[in-house]
Amino acid sequence: MGNKSVSYAKWGYIFSLPFMLVFLFFSLYPIIYTAMLGFTDLQGAGRRTFEFLANPLENYKLVLTNESFITSLKNTGLIWFLNFIPQMLLALLLTSWFTNQRFKIKGQGMFKVLMYMPNIITAATIAFLFRNLFGYPKGPINDLFMMLGLIEKPIYFWMSAGWSRGIIAFIQFWMWYGNTMIVLIAGVMGIDPTIFEAAEIDGASSVQTFFRITLPSLRTILLFTLVTSLIGGLQMFDIPLLYNLGGPDQKTLTASVWIYNQAFSGRYFYNRASAASMVLFAIIVVLASIVFYILRDKDAQKINRDRKAFKKYARQLQKEAGK
Amino acid sequence: MKKVLLVLAALSVLCSSLLFAGGTKDAKAATGTKVINLWSFTDEVPKMMDKYKQLNPDFDYEVKVTIVATTDGAYQPALDQALVAGGKDAPDLYTAESAFVLKYTQGDMADYAAAYKDLGINVDKLLRDAAIAQYTVDIGSNSRGLVGLGYQATGGAFIYRRSLAKQAWGTDDPKTVQSKIGPGWDKFLAAAAELKAKGIGIVSGDGDVWHAVEGASQKGWIVDGKLYIDPDREAFLDISKALKDKGYHNDTQDWTDAWFADMKGIGPQPIFGYFGPAWLINYVMAGNSGGTKPGEGTFGDWAVCQPPAGFFWGGTWLIANKNSPVKEAVGKFIEWVTLDSSNTGLQYFWANGTLNGPGGTKDVVASGTVMAKSDGKLDFLGGQNMFDAFIPAGDFATGRNKTQYDEGINSIWRGQVREYTSGTKTRAQAIADFKKQVADNLGIN
Repeated sequence: MGNKSVSYAKWGYIFSLPFMLVFLFFSLYPIIYTAMLGFTDLQGAGRRTFEFLANPLENYKLVLTNESFITSLKNTGLIWFLNFIPQMLLALLLTSWFTNQRFKIKGQGMFKVLMYMPNIITAATIAFLFRNLFGYPKGPINDLFMMLGLIEKPIYFWMSAGWSRGIIAFIQFWMWYGNTMIVLIAGVMGIDPTIFEAAEIDGASSVQTFFRITLPSLRTILLFTLVTSLIGGLQMFDIPLLYNLGGPDQKTLTASVWIYNQAFSGRYFYNRASAASMVLFAIIVVLASIVFYILRDKDAQKINRDRKAFKKYARQLQKEAGK
Repeated sequence: MKKVLLVLAALSVLCSSLLFAGGTKDAKAATGTKVINLWSFTDEVPKMMDKYKQLNPDFDYEVKVTIVATTDGAYQPALDQALVAGGKDAPDLYTAESAFVLKYTQGDMADYAAAYKDLGINVDKLLRDAAIAQYTVDIGSNSRGLVGLGYQATGGAFIYRRSLAKQAWGTDDPKTVQSKIGPGWDKFLAAAAELKAKGIGIVSGDGDVWHAVEGASQKGWIVDGKLYIDPDREAFLDISKALKDKGYHNDTQDWTDAWFADMKGIGPQPIFGYFGPAWLINYVMAGNSGGTKPGEGTFGDWAVCQPPAGFFWGGTWLIANKNSPVKEAVGKFIEWVTLDSSNTGLQYFWANGTLNGPGGTKDVVASGTVMAKSDGKLDFLGGQNMFDAFIPAGDFATGRNKTQYDEGINSIWRGQVREYTSGTKTRAQAIADFKKQVADNLGIN
């Protein structure tokens, strides 16, 4: 009797082929090329030929001893932190409101669209808008503060490290909290509604429901937002570049802006920029791994461990019984 | 880790689809050999090309124009890529702005520039006949001869408010004002004190002064491959500090709302003047004066005189690709734009504002011959002939103190000067940090 079952597996490969090809040519190849350039002497406008350096780690050494690069890494971390904490808190708060069956908020669709809106506007537009809002010596915010009598002289926002970092962190926060909220709401929708019903019948308060049911069930989604935000945040580029070119005095210079400056403005240090990109890549991998480790599914691991221990114990019993 | 890869992959697909979308736009099919690829950062030169084709019907070349704005530094990387890639879509004719022209005439990308004499242009004779401003020739020349020239002369003058001059010194005569504010920065600061006593700021922000200080210094930022701070440029720290501490300006940055507001005379204190070439008057100040004819806003209340120190600011240079298959045609156009001093040359139209019919914007051009037979009277300047001030301004300007990295170094320097004047840093610290950042970013010590 011939085995006549139909295999659908090949369709899986065929449908994923376009993606694989695009990925290979437009993503994997550039990544490998970048990694390679970090070990070469490719620098200067208009050059295409290059040689590998006698000391392959020279660019890495130059990059890691470059004070501006170290500064830019610190700035990136700080600005990411300033934007991520409030972003996560607000997104969680809004999620708990929007998904709470007892509140039944009207016009949810409109609110979600409005909160997502900043994400649709081009980053360049937003950076420019905020630069003008915080203009000096004349600008809408300065005018407003003066009118309210909060200040006597206009504030030089562009020259203040605190204000500049705060404004850039705020823009990032404002652009992305809506996105994070939508992802979290989708996550909550995926939780079995009977659990919420059971909690309600048992008399759990909104706060209890949120902390005991919603949050633990959201762990996978939280992990996803945390990791994507980490990747996006560490690559923060357009807002800091366009808001104030990384100024004042490199106080908002992020790693990506530094890399861009090395590669495409001034001396065209493609090799150093590539090395710095790989350093940034390594940092992202390490941080993402840490996040994965912290948020790993401890229950599942415990069950795994228990099962192994049980098997071991059973074998031991068998052995003893055999004796 | 799998998830990270997934996210990365998803992101990369997004990026590559964007790349695709961007790529198809440029990939217009090129047919025939009579094609000129023209690259520029504004539509100014492409419009000249339209006029040239209109004047010369037998010039039957198809011109494909690529315009990339210089904002966000997008023009240079795009142009560099196109030049290096070569092929039939490579630029045959491209333009460069003063901020980065040296890179294309004498610096890293100079190898691609064709010598004008190889384009069939009789350079020596025409330069003499047209009496081209020397600094534009200096900037456009390298060891292979002349490779780039502009059509404007962008020598700078001091542009001041007539009514405020009368208020402070009882006269608005350019000669008198000129002797009050210069020559030299000590006299300029003394004049600033006199004006301040009448409640007038001498300039809008320190950026205005910087252009003059930079242009007048003896040497550029790099001497023999090393970073060099010219004493004149170092003195800018003190000039800027004095301006700020004593309230001689409104503390604006150039190209911001507050800077434009001072042209209209609506800042915290009235502002006496600006440093700038003719294009600043025509394209920036006239539009921001709050009027279009004398009596409205500050329109007509301005005049020009010699600045305390000579300088030039801006300008566009035309360069031909030495690998171009259509060198001769490109050469004809370049000659018409940069070296033709007849009444049908571009510069005659440009100087008299008649390129697109009468009544257009008048501008100062590179050819002294053309200027001598043109009329530079402007209503904006209360009927003053601006060429009287701008022709000598072109002679004082020098192109020998520029380097191809000026844009980046200037930006770092101006940032550190602001750190010092705002009181965040000491003078020595600002200089030390300037050196450090130039070394970090450009590898120049």
